[in-house]
Amino acid sequence: MTLANPKIPESARAVAADGTQLRYALMEMARDMPAVITLGRGDPDLPTPPHIIDAANRAMRAGLTAPTPVPGMPALRAAIAERLRAENGLPVAADNVMVTTGGQEGLFLAVQAIINPGDEVLVPDPRYSSYDDAIKRAGGKMVMVPTARDDAFNLDAAAVEAAISPASKALLIVTPSNPTAGIVTEERLRAIADVCIRHNLIVIVDEIYSKIVFPPWRHFSIGALPSMAERTITLDAFSKAYAMTGWRCGYAAAPADVIGAMARIKAVTTGAVATVSQWAGLAALEGPQDCISEYLDIYIERRAVLLAGLKRMGFAYGEPRGGLFVWADSSSTGIHAAELSYLLLKEAGVLIFPGTAFGEKWRDYVRITMLEPIETLRAAIERMLPVLERYRL
Amino acid sequence: MQNPSTLSRPLAERIASLPPPPPPAGENPPLPARVIEAAAAALARGETHYTDRPGIPEFRGWVAEHLRQRWGVTVDPSEVTVTCGSTEARYVTLTLLAEPGSAVLCPGDAARIRGALSLLGAEVVYSVRDDVRLLYLTPDVYRETSIELLQRAEADNWWVVYDLSFAATSPPFHPAQNKKLASRVVTIDSLSGRMAGWRLGWMAGSAAALRLRAGKQAITICTTAVSQWAGLELLRTESA
Repeated sequence: MTLANPKIPESARAVAADGTQLRYALMEMARDMPAVITLGRGDPDLPTPPHIIDAANRAMRAGLTAPTPVPGMPALRAAIAERLRAENGLPVAADNVMVTTGGQEGLFLAVQAIINPGDEVLVPDPRYSSYDDAIKRAGGKMVMVPTARDDAFNLDAAAVEAAISPASKALLIVTPSNPTAGIVTEERLRAIADVCIRHNLIVIVDEIYSKIVFPPWRHFSIGALPSMAERTITLDAFSKAYAMTGWRCGYAAAPADVIGAMARIKAVTTGAVATVSQWAGLAALEGPQDCISEYLDIYIERRAVLLAGLKRMGFAYGEPRGGLFVWADSSSTGIHAAELSYLLLKEAGVLIFPGTAFGEKWRDYVRITMLEPIETLRAAIERMLPVLERYRL
Repeated sequence: MQNPSTLSRPLAERIASLPPPPPPAGENPPLPARVIEAAAAALARGETHYTDRPGIPEFRGWVAEHLRQRWGVTVDPSEVTVTCGSTEARYVTLTLLAEPGSAVLCPGDAARIRGALSLLGAEVVYSVRDDVRLLYLTPDVYRETSIELLQRAEADNWWVVYDLSFAATSPPFHPAQNKKLASRVVTIDSLSGRMAGWRLGWMAGSAAALRLRAGKQAITICTTAVSQWAGLELLRTESA
């Protein structure tokens, strides 16, 4: 529970307003400060693997940079389809796939393709709030589906069904979740699929963190279930798994008519993905995959360090099962999460994001990334501890 | 299971008004070797992460300086956002500055904006009407016509989107040279004619610059990092 904390300076109270833009305001504030440890943005600090860089270099030097068709290079679309068939069990061919300018654009295009003004989109709470804009632009209405820490932020079919109304058209699933690091387990996805089939609901599933799942947990694609292929739009990107955020290359898989619609929208909103990025994406799919497990091992080590630090800080957390974040309960500090994030940035030089950037009610939570080396994570914890002690009630 | 061809529910109604994607533009002339080397150097030093949301500062600085030198138009680099080609700049600008149901005046070729306005639910009109709030102007429009419309824009508080991205030559005047109008003028330009496949454009200026930046971020977060470094080198080479 958040308490009124008389120790908090007025300057910190001023930032407590909720809102998506808060994340960006904090990032811009951090950019102007020296020696900030950034545990905010979901941008892997690890390098894009060398064989992917090499492929991009070869394409550039060979002049293979002419514009591609809007849905993407045929060879890349085919390779994505093959990957999704082999690893995710999705029954897709190249014409069920398109290349997008990162994962976020995939969601924008998907929503524009299927949502009419007044349609409701069911969204797990908390949520990655950058998706709000896509839904609002289409005239859609978000309806929150609760998730809870004592359920490891898994999504429950009964909660989904309880949120359905005659206006419901789609369910958005993000697994592993940003910001909670929960995953939606196979058992739950099967139950959710039954609900979606009964209510003829479209599923938009963002699987951008699917290669970052901590054993014994594993990723499962809802689009692989019977009768789900015709109602599922699967989104993914190279950004997180291959540390390729700056290349802006992702993909969507869906029924062919949806891909056709998304391509029409893409043609008038952003155009084709940069060709050099598509060559890099192709190399990511066709080249060695060792980097996936190497990077996962690194994140597992970092997670252990971060969780130990959070324990010292008196933060509680659900088990992070996948993704690049820890979603921690900071209520023991008695400080509103937005104020806390501001204080930690200004006085500890550590950037984290407040829970209120991911849903209005999450004022007792913060999202912290694992995207710095272990020694930097340790330094961040040592910096934060005295600030917390200074203001803790 | 079969590959799915049709969604289990109807697509959004807005799709019906959109044409199929056009075929890709053709090859551009070969880029100077130093552009490729600049791109390779960027990759070698690890420029593979998100850039600043509005684009790398060096690129934004070049755009601001170019506007100042070429037309005497003052734009702060913080009011420049690098986009995925001029297509994204047009979409973001038009859909954030025009309202659904409103009229957008286009005295030139409307082909490049028709799709974006269709998604927004706004109408393209070709002559002045009382419900016009935005003027989409390109340099190929007859100069006297442009001046007349810009006077009306000033009088009626219209937004002006000045799209230079397909101009064959650099035009002699710029709407933002009118100081009374400058805060409502967004300049769009791109490198589409020289490096189309790299997807590099920008939108610059106006009192709405920060809102436009946020609008771009909501769709594609930032523009491809290596493209920005390559484009910057091309711009520097050409201006030298």
